[in-house]
Amino acid sequence: MMNEQKSKSLWSHAWDSLISDKLTVLSMIIVVAYSLIAVTSALGLIAGDWSQEVGPSYAAPSSDYIFGLDIFGRSVFAKTIKGTEVAMSVGLVTGILTVIIGVFLGALAGYFGGKVDEVIVWFYTTFSSIPSIMLLVGICFIVGKGILAVYLSLGLTSWVSLCRLIRGEFIRHKDREYVQAATAIGGGDYRKIFKHILPNVLHIVIINFSLQFQVAIKSEVILSYLGLGVQGVPSWGTMINDAKLELARGNWWQLAAATAAMMIVVLAFNILGDSLRDALDPKLKGK
Amino acid sequence: MRFPSLLLFLLASSLLFTSCTKKTDEKGKTLYLAVSSQVKGMDPIYANDRYSGNEVARVYEGLLQYDYFRRPYTLAPNLAEAMPTVSEDGLTYTFKVLKGVVFQDDAAFPEGKGRELTAEDFVYSIKRLADPKLQGLGWWLLDGKIKGLNEWRNKYAELPKTDYEEEVEGLKALDRYTLQFKLSKPFPQFLYSLAMPFTYAVAREVVEKYGDEFLNHPVGTGPFAIRDGVFKQTKKIYYVKNPTFREKLYPCEGSEEFKEKGFLKDCGKKLPLVDRLEVNIIEENQPRWLNFEKGRVDFVAVPKDNFDSVIPDAKNLGNDYKEKKIELLISPALDITYIAFNHDLALFKNNKKLRRAMSLAYDIDEANKKFNNNQAIRAQSIVPPGIAGYMESYKSPYRGRGRKEDIEKAKKLLAEAGFPEGKGLPVITYDCPNNTVSRHQGEYFQLQMAKIGINVKVIQNPWPELQKKITTRNVMTYGIAWSADYPDAENFLQLIYGPNRAPGANGSGYDNPEFNKLFKVASVMQDGPERTALYEKMNRMAAEEVPWIFLVHRQSFVVKHGWLKNYISTDFEAGISQYFDVDKKLKKETLKKL
Repeated sequence: MMNEQKSKSLWSHAWDSLISDKLTVLSMIIVVAYSLIAVTSALGLIAGDWSQEVGPSYAAPSSDYIFGLDIFGRSVFAKTIKGTEVAMSVGLVTGILTVIIGVFLGALAGYFGGKVDEVIVWFYTTFSSIPSIMLLVGICFIVGKGILAVYLSLGLTSWVSLCRLIRGEFIRHKDREYVQAATAIGGGDYRKIFKHILPNVLHIVIINFSLQFQVAIKSEVILSYLGLGVQGVPSWGTMINDAKLELARGNWWQLAAATAAMMIVVLAFNILGDSLRDALDPKLKGK
Repeated sequence: MRFPSLLLFLLASSLLFTSCTKKTDEKGKTLYLAVSSQVKGMDPIYANDRYSGNEVARVYEGLLQYDYFRRPYTLAPNLAEAMPTVSEDGLTYTFKVLKGVVFQDDAAFPEGKGRELTAEDFVYSIKRLADPKLQGLGWWLLDGKIKGLNEWRNKYAELPKTDYEEEVEGLKALDRYTLQFKLSKPFPQFLYSLAMPFTYAVAREVVEKYGDEFLNHPVGTGPFAIRDGVFKQTKKIYYVKNPTFREKLYPCEGSEEFKEKGFLKDCGKKLPLVDRLEVNIIEENQPRWLNFEKGRVDFVAVPKDNFDSVIPDAKNLGNDYKEKKIELLISPALDITYIAFNHDLALFKNNKKLRRAMSLAYDIDEANKKFNNNQAIRAQSIVPPGIAGYMESYKSPYRGRGRKEDIEKAKKLLAEAGFPEGKGLPVITYDCPNNTVSRHQGEYFQLQMAKIGINVKVIQNPWPELQKKITTRNVMTYGIAWSADYPDAENFLQLIYGPNRAPGANGSGYDNPEFNKLFKVASVMQDGPERTALYEKMNRMAAEEVPWIFLVHRQSFVVKHGWLKNYISTDFEAGISQYFDVDKKLKKETLKKL
């Protein structure tokens, strides 16, 4: 009996190449760990008591208070964890919003071309010419400050680059043989877009998502630092903002905790994004 | 990826900033001042906060001013020749306006030459404050006090255009230089109001030329003029010496304490003493402080986080600061910080018990430690120490100090108010300005209220935005401070006088008929033991009614560089920069050491 040699799919190829690199694996572990922390914190299992006073104001890091305490004697460690929840949720929601808007508009523009394309291209060019920080501030004023404003403002301002990429890919793919074949057997536009072409450009979405994730985290920190971000919940940005005053007293721990937490996850996402691109983009293979 | 480039831009601009201010060999003298808040604009009738008022007063002037070198605070003529003559019934005030005073040169005048100031300008400027179309923020000051002015205001509230030609009985220019006020009732604080930026003289031509943009085109008679003639709403405001400023001389008389300290040795010099002003708007404490330490700002209030290192024993400067010839000035401030309730909301309006509970739950001692280095005085009620009406030994029964009994009492009151353990209460929002210390104060309030089960949400706003929210009643609670406009308890009590509600000074909208009645009586009384007794009664009433959560009366800790001369801490800062001087030689030497 002949042994069936199963050919490997793109995805399992990609998986193999991802786990063969130690740094990538480490990054994945970090991202998973952060996600777990965020989820357990969101469920209230950890850091739910971050607002409790646990010791004297500005106690230095010690065995009792692992990352030290802030002005109100709250644990900087708990605040960092709560900040992780905020950061990861912002990354996730923004990423999803970006994907939905970017893919939808990009697919429409690329696939239909003509007037539809013109309108969408005009729209995103105009949109991207507005300085994004101004747009963020504007949105904050409309929906009010808070996590919703952060989700919306970041999600609504960062879809343009993905939209451009998807549009380009759709233009390339729409005249390929497999699409023509789909047309020949009577496939409609909807079917061709979502069943045929989209799976073939999905790798771009994934790469973009992972890169977008860390940009969103950084942006959230900047917004919160400026006082435009989340309100009433700790965020790495507000922790760094606190540090402006604390450094005058020589209290470095809140700054250190927040920046370290941010640096690790942003670096991990960057490495992961790079590896994903290497693994998923056939054009880059072997380079 | 636009944020990194924004950061780069900020970095680059801060580098530019350092390279610009390093110049020390410029001609003439320049003052470098730091202001901690954004400035709304340069129109006197909208200058209802201290920061805008101070900027307005560099360019504009009023009939009267506070004598910079006298304590207790005393009024002195400025654009008036002398103090007014007052009729026997105390209702008619006649001023002689100084002759030969000219407005700064501006394109609004014929051939660009500033014309002479006349009594008519004051009539116009004060009518402007009352103009219903303009909604001047200082109207509360004169509301119901000048004969015929309220009628004039009400009449034009209905009509499409305000007619400034129509005469008002109580506000007349008898001739070119004679100005007469007729009051509709005695108003002992009337003269103080003529030293406030709200009533400063503007020129009609300028207002009419620039229209809405007048806010950014200040043209006054004052010692300084804004550079290039336009206020650009930026973080730096430049002024130059007004070349057509009148012969105003540095005073030769003053209180003994200032004579002894040599503050009067510039006697007889022509004001202003410096050629330029550079006002830096720096909202955050640390950048402001670092700029001071580097010598880029001449004086600054000591930020709370640097307090221990700058003033180790809470009285004297640390040695390394003394060596740099830095000097410390400590003085009590005529002010109060507070958290106001919005009394438009039924939640607070009809619920004295809730307000009392919240006040009791707020631990003022801990707040004093955290935010005022334990140097402020706990406020028992609304009137600060230093003026009649303050009661030294009075203790408010609703002043929380973090003691166990305070919390228990607060919980009990909260239950009686209908919200046992906070159940049934909505989330209470707290609005505050946009800087780290204000946010911490908000978070502190949040933590204090959590102790009795009340949920508070902190919202930060830019300063002009916060003020707008308060005047449009778009807040639940907010944290703010009030500094005296004039040294009289009336100026504090009027903050909770019902008819003064926003856009007047009563931002919280507190309205209590009983209090209003007392206020009405006291506000027309001359200074004396009877009035003081009434003030005290109202002050006690305020403490028991808890219209706000009273926090502290602050102490000001200001440090200045040795090269800045003639600086005195005062509660009334309008116009004082004309007396400042800079010792350039000392500055050059000191800068090397910084």
